[in-house]
Amino acid sequence: MSQTDKGIPCGGPVAVAGSEAFGTSGSFGARGDRPADGASLHPYLRHGIGVRLLMAIILFSGFVTLLSTLTQLYLDYLTEMRLMRDRFGEIETSSLASLGGSLWSLDTDQLRLQAEGIKRLPDIQYVEIRELGRSTERRLLVAVGEAGVQPLLANDYHIIHGEAGGGTRSIGVLHVEASLSGMYGRLIGRAVVILVSQGVKTFLVALFILYIVHRLVTRHLAAIAEHVGRYRFGMAAPLVLDRPPQRHEDELDRVVGAFNAMSAGIDGAYLHLSEVNAELANDIAARIKAEEEVRRLNAHLEQRVQQRTAELEASNRELDAFTYSVSHDLRAPLRRIEGFGQLLNAEAGERLDEQCRHYLERIRAGTREMAEMTESFLKLARSSRSDLIMEPANLADLAAKVITRLREREPDRIVSVHIAPAMPVTGDRRLLDIALENLLGNSWKYTRPREAATIAFAPEVVDGVTRYVIRDNGVGFDMAHVNRLFTPFNRLHRPGEFEGTGIGLATVQRIITRHGGRIWAEGTVNQGATFSFTLWEGSADNGNLENPPG
Amino acid sequence: MATSKILLVEDNQDDVELTQYAFRASQVNNELDVVRDGEEALEYLFGVGRHTGRRSCERPALVLLDLKLPGIGGLDVLRSMRARPETRRIPVVILTTSDDQSDVVNGYDLGVNSYIRKPVAFHDFSSLVEQLGLYWLVTNTAPPA
Repeated sequence: MSQTDKGIPCGGPVAVAGSEAFGTSGSFGARGDRPADGASLHPYLRHGIGVRLLMAIILFSGFVTLLSTLTQLYLDYLTEMRLMRDRFGEIETSSLASLGGSLWSLDTDQLRLQAEGIKRLPDIQYVEIRELGRSTERRLLVAVGEAGVQPLLANDYHIIHGEAGGGTRSIGVLHVEASLSGMYGRLIGRAVVILVSQGVKTFLVALFILYIVHRLVTRHLAAIAEHVGRYRFGMAAPLVLDRPPQRHEDELDRVVGAFNAMSAGIDGAYLHLSEVNAELANDIAARIKAEEEVRRLNAHLEQRVQQRTAELEASNRELDAFTYSVSHDLRAPLRRIEGFGQLLNAEAGERLDEQCRHYLERIRAGTREMAEMTESFLKLARSSRSDLIMEPANLADLAAKVITRLREREPDRIVSVHIAPAMPVTGDRRLLDIALENLLGNSWKYTRPREAATIAFAPEVVDGVTRYVIRDNGVGFDMAHVNRLFTPFNRLHRPGEFEGTGIGLATVQRIITRHGGRIWAEGTVNQGATFSFTLWEGSADNGNLENPPG
Repeated sequence: MATSKILLVEDNQDDVELTQYAFRASQVNNELDVVRDGEEALEYLFGVGRHTGRRSCERPALVLLDLKLPGIGGLDVLRSMRARPETRRIPVVILTTSDDQSDVVNGYDLGVNSYIRKPVAFHDFSSLVEQLGLYWLVTNTAPPA
């Protein structure tokens, strides 16, 4: 994976997580998958610093060489031109006098010889001697060489003849043309020699510099690049360049030192991160293990709870069955005791004395009491044993029937009963009837000492929950004993004061609980008692609608 | 109905005595035959076993059936009676101490005519027995023989 693939800029921060490889910088190209066509020449030689250095040296050196060559040529040109002019001056001083004599004597042959002598001088291509003063037809003209071949340098000299009287006059003109092509040829040849020698020298120097640079710098740069490219966290040997130890630290040494320091730092950080990662992995593993343990324990606990619940339910069922069965089976012998007691009373009552009749009566009263008790047991067992038959019920109607029964039982009592007009609920009517019979029966019973007994049964809504409240102005009870009210066989009054088995409120509580409600009591001694209960508490409809929950 | 006998199916001697006493004390003077378990009840009704030779015209006009019997239970006796055409229509009253809901439901499902739970107080029991006899043997129109 290369850096560009990962989108990490060169020299940017290095993520430890992506520690697979460092990519290499493209300019070095020190990749394992080097292209095959570059096999003859290392890419960094083709595109590297060395070649650019070479090109720069050659360009600059060529430019300097050209400039110096041009200067040299210009100076050479000036020298040549001065030589040319010196030659003309030489011709003037050496030849004009003799030419004057020859021309004066009209010695054509001599003139031609002299002209050819001049022409033999270097670069002279044409010499012409022309006489002045005579008519054109008779005028003497000697010409040697080819005239007018460019480039040329021409000069005319007057041929002077000294008169006898000491004066002078021009008798002719010497016209000399010097060719410049020779001089140009020499200059070009020299320029070529300079350029070629300079070029070769420059190229050789550049190659040498390239070699030196390669030897001293670029191969080490390539080595560094390759090392960085191979770099792996935690396992990289320090970067060492293949060269003799330097007496003084140079730039490469500093690069190597800086890189090694950096990689050491990165390795340290990587190691640290690896350790932290390992610790984290350990932590995670430990946590997963702990969670599994918790899950296992939870499952175990759940299983235990289910098991215990099942056991409890089973033992509850057994207990209920036992209660039911015992109460049930006790009834038969009770019936017999009561029955035969009655028979004894009927058959032999008159023969028994007062004391014996009293004993017999106590026996029968005991059996009746016990029968009542077994009946209560049966109700208690049934209240938690039987399946609930859910149907709409009206507590007001049920309560009214209970009151009617109570009034029938004690028609002489005057009790003011107020029952709210309608209390629709959902529940098992038979059980609700038992509950109301116990609650209203208690009120009925414990208001007996009151001359103006009152019982009220009405719903109240507190915090959105409907509670059904039964209030009386009876003997009440001490709130200190409120917790014992709903416990079976716990009676707050002496048996002689009020009849009862001590099971009624326990039965009521079971019934209310099975109807998803709570029951609680408040009371004051001699002020009266208040029993409140809820049904289907926590469910949305509060038991008031027709569809029962569950 | 050829006879006006009452058959009491009851295993406990004390209960038998009390019931007999209650009947004696009442205005119901019908003869009371007693069998002590379910098996004998069926033998009595169908004239087999210990009651071989008992004629069909001697079948009871009313059966008072206890549920808790040794061997064949009261509900089984009822089922067998309702399964046979000759005993199908005989009025049967379950007279028991149980008021277990399943017993009540099963009794009615099997075609019992009445279900009565024996009260503890003997006075109540006596008056109940009298009501029972009068109703089923006098007030009620018996099925044809």
